[in-house]
Amino acid sequence: MGAIDFDSVTKVYDDSSGTVVAVEELDLSVEDGEFLVFVGPSGCGKSTTLRMLAGLETVTDGTIRIDGEAITDKAPKDRDIAMVFQSYALYPHKTVRDNMAYGLKLSTDLTDEEIDRRVTETAEMMGIGDLLDKKPGSLSGGQQQRVATGRAIVREPAVFLFDEPLSNLDAKLRKHMRTELAQIHNELRITTIYVTHDQEEAMTLADRIAVLNGGELQQVGPPKQVYARPANHFVADFIGSPSMNFVDVTLDGQHLRLDGPDDDWSYEVSDGLAEIVADAGVTEYIIGVRPEDVRLGDDAPAGKTVEGTVEVVEVVGSDNFIYLESGGQEFRYRAPTEVEPAVGETLTVTFDEDHIHLFDRDSGEAVAHGTSEADGSSRAVSRSVTAED
Amino acid sequence: MLNDTRRTRTLLYLGLGAIALWALLPYLWVLRTSFLDSFTAIDPNAPYLPSLDNFTLKSYGQVWSRFDFVTFFTNSIIVSLGATVISLAFAIPSAYAFARLDFPGRKLLFYTAVFTIMFPWIVLTIPVYEVFTWLNMINTLEAVIIALSIFTLPQAIWLLQGFFRQGIPENIEEAALLDGHSELTAFLRVVLPLSLPAVAAAGLFSFIIAWNNFLWVFILTTDKSQRTATVAIHYILGSDVMRQWNVLMASAVLLIVPPVIFYTLAQRYVGEGIGGGY
Repeated sequence: MGAIDFDSVTKVYDDSSGTVVAVEELDLSVEDGEFLVFVGPSGCGKSTTLRMLAGLETVTDGTIRIDGEAITDKAPKDRDIAMVFQSYALYPHKTVRDNMAYGLKLSTDLTDEEIDRRVTETAEMMGIGDLLDKKPGSLSGGQQQRVATGRAIVREPAVFLFDEPLSNLDAKLRKHMRTELAQIHNELRITTIYVTHDQEEAMTLADRIAVLNGGELQQVGPPKQVYARPANHFVADFIGSPSMNFVDVTLDGQHLRLDGPDDDWSYEVSDGLAEIVADAGVTEYIIGVRPEDVRLGDDAPAGKTVEGTVEVVEVVGSDNFIYLESGGQEFRYRAPTEVEPAVGETLTVTFDEDHIHLFDRDSGEAVAHGTSEADGSSRAVSRSVTAED
Repeated sequence: MLNDTRRTRTLLYLGLGAIALWALLPYLWVLRTSFLDSFTAIDPNAPYLPSLDNFTLKSYGQVWSRFDFVTFFTNSIIVSLGATVISLAFAIPSAYAFARLDFPGRKLLFYTAVFTIMFPWIVLTIPVYEVFTWLNMINTLEAVIIALSIFTLPQAIWLLQGFFRQGIPENIEEAALLDGHSELTAFLRVVLPLSLPAVAAAGLFSFIIAWNNFLWVFILTTDKSQRTATVAIHYILGSDVMRQWNVLMASAVLLIVPPVIFYTLAQRYVGEGIGGGY
């Protein structure tokens, strides 16, 4: 069992250089067996949250519970938690076998034979059976990563914590290990909290993603929901690669007009969307469109197109990423391989109203996704998802 | 091209050889003189490498038979080991605290400790003498041990805190905490074994400083029975009885032997310790 509750958890660093709020009033529930990924830019508080859960950082305010029991003041060893660090943190003076067995020796009453059996079994499962008598210094990065994961698995804890465990691996190995971690989780179904700044890692691994920024929870939800219905401008910008196109617009009747130096385009919206937008009571918006939702607009109705000059064409094999300049703003278009315009060429593109995300320019909160109303403020979204759990 | 490289390398080795010879010459001269008979040792016409007939081990025998070098060396060993152990016993926890813990006045305390490394000991002789007189400890080996451990402590702290800060990743300690250790046992069972190279380096430096120390032994002891070998040689050199350079050099060679043995035993670790990694 390993259901986790963060109840108004706050972390404040107070030193001679000033006060920094690393995590602010985090409310979040994680179900037993769930794979939750904390994602966000550097300094967003994701690692601090993980370390507070592990007991490696004190909690300034609030309570953390595992299976309903408050663990906020418990020592790390009494929390039934195993953690994989970015640097692996293997004991360099111990063999792989001893590294894996150490936690069991210290924290359980198991016999040496039983410990050895579990270590061997786990090592076989991780594909490191032949490395058991080697020291970490003689292993490659990928092997060390496997040992670190094996060391956590062999403990059979209530909760696994991963703090950017794949960041030190090369791209190919990272993808491979990602798949392995997903398989291990499917097999063991132990509650896992995983911290990464890599949104692709977050999307592929998570049952739910929790997006953090500036110590505040921005949104929590299944990957598809976070991608398709970002709660605010930050989430929309952070999730997705290449990132979403954003253009500052002003509502003018049934037109969203570009706020640029040239004011040379506007986008005509339907009555339904205009109504939602009017209800929000704001006139200044950011319109967001994902590059993959943009398409060539030669046959699109007038008033629904954007004309831009091709600045860069990136050929990535499966697609072409085309960067357009329109009204002083950059517009990214993920095009099929056959669309490969020359630099300087003028291209007309369009996007469906269903794919538009509108954000209040002041607060950054989502107002509408396509023709449906957004779920409310980001806080409301995160709390409602938490409450459903 | 190949010849150029070879020529450069030859010149480099010749240069290095010359510098090494220059540095080693005094030691070689001490070694040479210690093995000569009394007359050849002071004969200005003696060649740099005298004939084998003039070489003898007599001077080494005289060191032990004519002077109480057994006592002097025993005192040196007691004082040096005592100072090293006490210095490390205090340096290890304090260096760890400076490296890892955040407490008020940490920087001030640390820089004060480091500053004392640069402080010339000679200006402290009178206050230190007064303190030990007040403690009624003058003329005891304990006084010398305490004085030496205090004066070797800052350097040991400085060396060890650098290692704790850079040589032992914090994550390893954190992994130990999650594996079932308390903070104290994580330090004793995980950090300390990993820090052996640095502890060996700090211990070696403390031992050498204490072994070679002249000032505190000279200031704090007057009894012959409390002298260490370093001070004893000074008295022998200053006495009228002794102008036998071969015997003096033999005692100097004997003085060098223990630190060399100590270094040889510790050198496997020391390089790593100074390097700051494991």
